[in-house]
Amino acid sequence: MSANAELKRVKEWAWMRSFANLYQKESQAWWSTKRWWINGLLWLGLVAGMLVAMLFIVPPFFAALGQTTMVADNGGMVKMGLHTFYTVGTLAITIGVIVLCQDLIIGEKQTGLTEYLLANPVQRKAYVLAKLCASLVAVFLLLVALPGAAAYVVISLGAGGPLPLLPYLAGIGLLVLHSLFYLTLTIMLGVFFSSRSPILGIPFGIFFIGMLFGFLKPLMYIGPSMLTGCAEAIAGSVPLPPGLLWPALLATGLWCVAFTCAALIKFERTEF
Amino acid sequence: MDASNSLVIETHNLSKAYKGVQALKDLNLKVEQHSIFGFLGPNGAGKTTTMKILLGLIKPTGGGGKIFGYDIVRDSVAIRERIGYLPQQPRFLDYWTARESLRFTASFFFSGPKAAIEARIQETLALVGLDDKADRPIKGFSGGERQRLGIAQAQINYPDLLILDEPAAALDPLGRHAVLEVMERLRKHTTIFYSTHILDDVQRVSDTVAILNRGQLVTCGPIDQILNGKDSTVFTITEKGSTRRIEERLQQLSWVTQASADRHNGATTWQVGVSDEAAAEAHLLRHILADEAVVVTEFSRKKYDLEEVFMDLIQGDNNER
Repeated sequence: MSANAELKRVKEWAWMRSFANLYQKESQAWWSTKRWWINGLLWLGLVAGMLVAMLFIVPPFFAALGQTTMVADNGGMVKMGLHTFYTVGTLAITIGVIVLCQDLIIGEKQTGLTEYLLANPVQRKAYVLAKLCASLVAVFLLLVALPGAAAYVVISLGAGGPLPLLPYLAGIGLLVLHSLFYLTLTIMLGVFFSSRSPILGIPFGIFFIGMLFGFLKPLMYIGPSMLTGCAEAIAGSVPLPPGLLWPALLATGLWCVAFTCAALIKFERTEF
Repeated sequence: MDASNSLVIETHNLSKAYKGVQALKDLNLKVEQHSIFGFLGPNGAGKTTTMKILLGLIKPTGGGGKIFGYDIVRDSVAIRERIGYLPQQPRFLDYWTARESLRFTASFFFSGPKAAIEARIQETLALVGLDDKADRPIKGFSGGERQRLGIAQAQINYPDLLILDEPAAALDPLGRHAVLEVMERLRKHTTIFYSTHILDDVQRVSDTVAILNRGQLVTCGPIDQILNGKDSTVFTITEKGSTRRIEERLQQLSWVTQASADRHNGATTWQVGVSDEAAAEAHLLRHILADEAVVVTEFSRKKYDLEEVFMDLIQGDNNER
């Protein structure tokens, strides 16, 4: 068909053809719908609410009962606040990552939208990477950065002065890596499976096994289970035992790369 | 596509097997430029499989093919730059409007200028009659409107080839009519390769037809050739009068191979098969009318409808296997 001469054809790297357009679509799914403010409020409210309760509501209640306050038991407001954010808060954030991202691939596979999208000039790796990148930005901003900023403010208020920022940001960085592990895992499972049960069940299983047994020697070095504990220690400027952080950091990073590669290879071979 | 080559699609022994089940076997297709190519077959014949292979959505297990001279496996992205596709059930992001959906599809192909892209979107919306609903969310669209939006999406990039999988399925007669009209409007710009179950539609708009059964090609060619392509030519004669006298006269002709009569409302309709078409055209009616007692009210060469040909071919093919 003879095209309008005025229209300029898209020029993109052939190996990532249509990444920009798909990334924009994925970003719109987060930011042009109610999704961003619902999730923003939800995770912010959950984490900040939990911290406010633990730091400002529960201690006076115990004090009124004449008992030693929980804050005193945990070595002060900062320690209590950081522990609450990096353990209970991380639990909420990880559940959020898995639940929000489980539908990314399988939802479109099941409705036939993937088939339609791939019938356009799209490189399959661009499809997967666009989902990963757009979701990583959304997860970082809505599930980590926003609740993290709120936690910083609440803990600083409780401590009576600002927390040291750099260690706190380093702790947040570990939390991002922890979330990336579950994001890449969930996306990979979405590529491999066509039912939601394994896509939800496997990441939750890994997370809870990590919570319960992550302190055991082999597990603490081969997965992300120790990252939250490390993040809490780093944010509180507590020295870490030597040889604890780097193996977990490296292993989690490698897992993220491995999950992404596996997703790309499998998706390239999937028939629609 | 090579300038000297007018073929848009060319497949050579294209095959696909799923875990030992042969979904498509040795398919050889040639689709000419600017044709409307109807791809027919019963459910499970392999039509959608073929289309998906051509689009690179699934990979063949044997044979190969070319579109615009490009290899369908190796150069799939380059091919899809020039193709528009309408799946059997078009899917959209329901929270988008028709205009947003077309803007998204256009962005796969065009980077600017913005005004020209918007003008193209408007033109496409008008072509499929959705310009008055352009800014409504798709979730409120009827089946027919979704189908028309699917066609709009498929041709927003000025495709050289449109692949339409059951474009009029699940539509009411008005919706079907609208879709066929759009296809006819597009035929001067592009080649259309489409599958359908609705044989009336094929007969109305297609110029070339392929019939597929159980993954194998049963027949392929220009529609007129297929409609006339029975073993012998048949003439239809409707008469009022003595059936016996006509029978006697037909028996006198050596090139009449078979004759059958069907009496209805005082008239008899004869189906007369002949082996010599030229002789029949020149002498059959004259020979019958030589008997003055015979009154012929209608005489024509029988035109088969596609449904008849389709049923014969599919049943014949099923019996042979």
